[in-house]
Amino acid sequence: MSAAPDPFGALGDPNRRAILRLLRDGGRPVQAIATALPISRPAVSRHLRVLKTAGLVSERAEGTRRVYELREQGLDAVRDYLVGVWGEATTRFRLLAENTPADRKG
Amino acid sequence: MSEPLVLSFDVECSAAHAFTTWTARIDAWWPSDHTVSGDSAAQIVLEPGIGGRIFERAPDGREHEWGQVVRWDPPTDLAYLWHLGGTSESATHVAIHFLAVGAQTTRVEIEHTGWERLRPDGDTWRDRNQAGWATLLPHFQTSIEKENA
Repeated sequence: MSAAPDPFGALGDPNRRAILRLLRDGGRPVQAIATALPISRPAVSRHLRVLKTAGLVSERAEGTRRVYELREQGLDAVRDYLVGVWGEATTRFRLLAENTPADRKG
Repeated sequence: MSEPLVLSFDVECSAAHAFTTWTARIDAWWPSDHTVSGDSAAQIVLEPGIGGRIFERAPDGREHEWGQVVRWDPPTDLAYLWHLGGTSESATHVAIHFLAVGAQTTRVEIEHTGWERLRPDGDTWRDRNQAGWATLLPHFQTSIEKENA
């Protein structure tokens, strides 16, 4: 079995996760997000950009501020992702089950 | 209310073999990049029987809880809670039905539910979002990171 490139080692960008957790309670302006996290505002903006590109958060103008919030469609993206995981897993399962000796007890 | 995720496919083997492969040999077929540690050497264990733990043991010995078996009726039915990297409070539910449709053909039906369990009265988009994020975030995070790698 070949090693998967960049597996869950990349999982933990804790700041990006923290941003999404913050937004679960409602939309927030960039500054409020930056204040709540131990990283710089430019870093927060960078993370927000990634999250926005991935369709997870959206931004809207509120006066002079830009407010970020979770997108409902983000959940659809999660579902799509899960479908992908199951598709890969079941393909591997089928290959293994069909190419190993049957359980005699069965 | 969110709908369950439902998948179905046929596998050319007996239901008993399918059940055994799914459970006892999960380590051999579950994709190693869909693990918590991401280490291809991590070992995935599904303990047989109701209450059996499902966990991943990384090469350094650290264990990550995946879930717990809640139905164990070989060779036809299996169900477990799947934390998906979150806490047990945010567990999703996976039910698998192995239906013999021929001597050597088994239909595997998977039903993956979860949001209702998390927010029994949470029918608004925001509650659904919260449940979804709490449950799936760590895994989805990985896909984001991959896309931006």
